[in-house]
Amino acid sequence: MPPIINPDLCIKCDRCVNICTEDVFFGSKKHETPVITYPRECVHFNGCVDVCPVPGAIWLRYPMPSMIVYRTSSDYRAPPG
Amino acid sequence: MEEQLIECDVLCVGGGIAGLMAAIRASELGANVVVAEKGNPHYSGCGRRGNDHFETWIPEVHGADKEKFIDELLKTAKGEILIGRDILRAQFGKAHEIVELWDEWGIPMRQKGKWEFAGHAFPGRMMTHIKYEGRFQKTVLVQQARKRGARIMDRIMVDELLRDGDRVIGAVGVHTREDTVFVFQAKAVILGTGKCSRLYQGLTPGMMFNDGHGGVQTGDGRAMAYRAGAELMNVEMPQRHIGPKYFAKFGQATWVGVLRDAEGKPVGPFVSEPDRRYGDIVMEVNKLAPEQYGERGRGPVYMDCTGISDKDAAYMRHWHIHEGNVSLVDHMDAEGIDPRKHPIEFSTYPLRGGGLIVANEKAETSLPGLYAAGDEAMGDISAAATFGWISGDTAVAYARTVEHGDVEVTRPIIAALESRIDELRGRGNGPDWEEANIALQQVMTDYAGKVRNEARLLQGLAHLRRLRQKVDTELMARNQHELGRCLEVHNLFDVGELTFHAALDRRESRGLHNRPDYPFKNPLLSQAHIVRMEGDRPVTDWRSY
Repeated sequence: MPPIINPDLCIKCDRCVNICTEDVFFGSKKHETPVITYPRECVHFNGCVDVCPVPGAIWLRYPMPSMIVYRTSSDYRAPPG
Repeated sequence: MEEQLIECDVLCVGGGIAGLMAAIRASELGANVVVAEKGNPHYSGCGRRGNDHFETWIPEVHGADKEKFIDELLKTAKGEILIGRDILRAQFGKAHEIVELWDEWGIPMRQKGKWEFAGHAFPGRMMTHIKYEGRFQKTVLVQQARKRGARIMDRIMVDELLRDGDRVIGAVGVHTREDTVFVFQAKAVILGTGKCSRLYQGLTPGMMFNDGHGGVQTGDGRAMAYRAGAELMNVEMPQRHIGPKYFAKFGQATWVGVLRDAEGKPVGPFVSEPDRRYGDIVMEVNKLAPEQYGERGRGPVYMDCTGISDKDAAYMRHWHIHEGNVSLVDHMDAEGIDPRKHPIEFSTYPLRGGGLIVANEKAETSLPGLYAAGDEAMGDISAAATFGWISGDTAVAYARTVEHGDVEVTRPIIAALESRIDELRGRGNGPDWEEANIALQQVMTDYAGKVRNEARLLQGLAHLRRLRQKVDTELMARNQHELGRCLEVHNLFDVGELTFHAALDRRESRGLHNRPDYPFKNPLLSQAHIVRMEGDRPVTDWRSY
């Protein structure tokens, strides 16, 4: 579960660790790749992605239970068989 | 553990919109101000990711008489107004000045140099909300507070108020990363800790942070105010919100669409075609609509923006981002959800509780030296910004008239918190905060939830007390982070217990307080329902707004 860090791109600037109000990165050491200790407490507000200076070094994966329900033109058709 | 003493004139508890506005105003007036924030103030509170609408009277738009604006709000009230007219008068007497200040500080409140009123509106009636680009509002407010000399301390969870006689003389809190307790000696304390999440089961039971307002606003201010002897009100009156099904993030957002049933019929009578000026206010008039459709075997209910122009779609996206819904936009993009093609199912979100700290039009609570603003006192961003500012004014005026209290007289309170911390950190096994929190949500949802009666409330309260006993003697924290969560759970249990007491005492049905054993609304109870501590027991009372 989110966030996800690409250790090859992370420049260990600690910005994401500093801004996270929920502190999902608790226990991260200064100037090391952050650890994601409490992923279940992520509220997916994207602040860590916003402050990250390297595109693609951190991103969020939205958990399956929060996936939006939406309707397409075929959703109301009876299933085959 | 280390103990640090911090001295200041004004302590702001919580660095949300209210706390920062209080800090800005109090610092501007020359006070020595500290903001204690349990997260990071750039990204904390309901306004953390932005906002796009602000309720305000603007004299050059609405005319010189603000009473007409207030009349309109009351006439078209989207729910029962649980505050007095003097509060609204104070809010709208100041909000238009706050809007100008924000604009000056770099939060774009005007669009292309003009006020743009849109959304949250009944077609044909007075428009009450301006659109504004609030995405970076917290950063601007933090900068303004620092510029005026306020000291902002991150990662400090204030947990108890310190009181000498009637007067609040400071507070005590804990660092959520280091083993340090902070004792604040303050002439005035302003509470602005926000909403009360995690009290009831959320959209996905057990996933407590899938919540429209984040997961760390846990009624801390209400709980500590109550424990210090301040009055709370309407604790038993829950709230509900509405939004995209299963994706409860920040803000209701701007939808250029119509809420429709599965056959395409509008749910409400207000709009039949998408119109960016209005949105569909049925969502605010009846937030229960999707749930009611479900209960009656109808539905699903959709936010239908299909067929809108590319221009309207871009407008919607722009305001989604300023409202703090970047994750919504990201998620829709990633899943290939296009509101121009796909109706999006809306649901009524679960209950949220907590009531309010009793505060008057000057943000004064029932205790000298204690003030409250924001969601725990008056709700919505306009009120948070305005009463934050007003509380700064009032707190400084009070601080000028008093000397510092002696926090050593409150040593038993500080010692009790320190000993609780030692116990929580010292236990090697036992329930953690999450297990206790889920147990609390279960009993709140089942016994003080959508339908209540005396027997259920009494049984639920008895069960909650048994849980509380375990929490008091068995809860464990593996580290400082979990210690903070444990203290949040303590606060939630306090608010939960008060909810049961107040719900038992409100012998009527009103709004979302549904008691089939007292099925009618009692007009004589159209008052503030007060709860406060006497001895160590809650007592209730009724008082005019």
